[in-house]
Amino acid sequence: MRTMSLCRIVALISIAATAACSSRAGDPARQYGPDPYLPEPREYLLPPMSVPKAIGWQAGEMPTASAGLTVAALATGLEHPRTLYTLPNGDILVVESNSPGTEPFRPKDFIAGKVKARAGAAATGGNRITLLREADGNGTRELRTVFIDHLHSPYGIVLVGDTLYVANTDAILAFSYTPGMTRITSPGVKLTDLPAGPIDHHWTKSMTASADGSKLYVGVGSNSNITENGMAVEEGRAVIYEVDRSTGAKRIFASGTRNPTSVAFEPHTQQLFAVVNERDEIGPDLVPDYLTSIRQGGFYGWPYSYWGTHVDVRVHPQRPDLVARAIRPDYGLSSHVAPLGLVFSQGQHLSSLFANGAFIGEHGSWDRSPLNGYQVIYVPFVNGRPLGKPIPVVTGFLGRDNETVHGRPVGLALDRSGALLIADDVGNTVWRVSARQAVEPSTTQPESGVP
Amino acid sequence: MLAPNLSESIVSSADRAPFLLHRGFIGAGAVLLMAALITDYTYYTTALWQWANFSAWLITAGLIVMLVAVVSLLIDFATGHARRLNPASFMLVTAAALLSLVNAFVHSRDAWTSVVPQGILLSVVSTILLVIAGARGWSLAVSRASGDRP
Repeated sequence: MRTMSLCRIVALISIAATAACSSRAGDPARQYGPDPYLPEPREYLLPPMSVPKAIGWQAGEMPTASAGLTVAALATGLEHPRTLYTLPNGDILVVESNSPGTEPFRPKDFIAGKVKARAGAAATGGNRITLLREADGNGTRELRTVFIDHLHSPYGIVLVGDTLYVANTDAILAFSYTPGMTRITSPGVKLTDLPAGPIDHHWTKSMTASADGSKLYVGVGSNSNITENGMAVEEGRAVIYEVDRSTGAKRIFASGTRNPTSVAFEPHTQQLFAVVNERDEIGPDLVPDYLTSIRQGGFYGWPYSYWGTHVDVRVHPQRPDLVARAIRPDYGLSSHVAPLGLVFSQGQHLSSLFANGAFIGEHGSWDRSPLNGYQVIYVPFVNGRPLGKPIPVVTGFLGRDNETVHGRPVGLALDRSGALLIADDVGNTVWRVSARQAVEPSTTQPESGVP
Repeated sequence: MLAPNLSESIVSSADRAPFLLHRGFIGAGAVLLMAALITDYTYYTTALWQWANFSAWLITAGLIVMLVAVVSLLIDFATGHARRLNPASFMLVTAAALLSLVNAFVHSRDAWTSVVPQGILLSVVSTILLVIAGARGWSLAVSRASGDRP
């Protein structure tokens, strides 16, 4: 009896040891575009991880822009800047925010907390919006004020007419805005509630408005990696809402989008696009994060399947009926890059190379070795669709040793001059990327000022 | 009826084994690890995530108590109460604890496959081992007094 049990134990332990061997990820380029390479899913005792240590930027250090572009800090010393928005008068809003925080649910959560802290992802967010003014569009900042304070894990932000909408983690607030304002003190008026706690695993609420301003579109992430917190808490999650701006009524516009961290309309076709963060822990090359057009009523797979009809066996009970109609996303960005920012280019301001396409801020993660993401890329568009290979635009957020991280790009925006703005929530900086010119005073010097 | 002082002298003689500190901790840790089989089974039949969550906590807590048991076993040897290891019981409990350690990692996966099939299988095997160890009295060592007996 005992001998048999021991044999079984040895067998089990050796199976476990084989499964625990960390696997190295392949070339991310195989997963770019409409038909990414998808290896077989694997399950691990300890998923492959590589946690870079957040070290920030020393004076004079900055990310690297691709040829013909130059980078400068527009603001430093921010509190976990996540999203950016340019107002019509050129003022730039910086949403400083982080997760409202959750209590550990499982033994694993204690370890996850330590990982996040090392990588600089656990810093407290400012829960406020800071206004930056660079009136002459030359990258020099003339004014910096706290625009709206005391928010609750804000993320999405959009101006429609004279109303500024801010998506807190639990509700959309409306603030009345007049051009030139540098501070709003009146409390916002709630337009509608959004799914938040308890748990609030993916807390960000990305937001944009339709061209006519009648509807808001809000990306709401799932409440877990892959339903490990139960199906009940996923009600109304992993979806993109359409919110009627006049009444606050909302409906699910598309579903199965695990974590749609940025939503934006393609300027030529007015088609809604989103970048979506896919699931973890089934391999370093699964599942590719993606950029996709969002169809009304479309189902994009989460949690039951990925990249169309690839079933995820971790979900129980399964739903073959939903898997059958899961939409394949338009464009793979490769795995674990964590795309958080999406902005469409508006002509040739930066370079003729970047005239028609999407800039994507890849925050990077620790679920893969070697690390992936930690850069801003450009995806070219043809006839309103992504086509061709992505082009790195700004890199160097990761240390050369691949083990330290200076900054992590999050939200993107274009300023009034067409320069690309990048929120960096580890470097606590807003970077401004512009076309290199023959004479460009002051933009090559990092800003030394503190708030 | 014996007088109290007489009864005490009898108990402290070779009639009963001296107190072994680690036995209680082995038993307590084993109960936690075995309880995870029940919560695993309940998750298997209901797919309600909280049962898988309970299993993860039970296994983690069981392993921590088992670690305390190791320390107390060392104390039993250091104080001379334990004379030598009981190899069969020691192997049973050690195997169950190692399997449970693997099981803690299996249970750190997300959703269904944190339990089915590997997690619950590991819980079954370690429970069987621990039941046998329990039937043998939880003690991993032979105490000085009982060991002195022929």
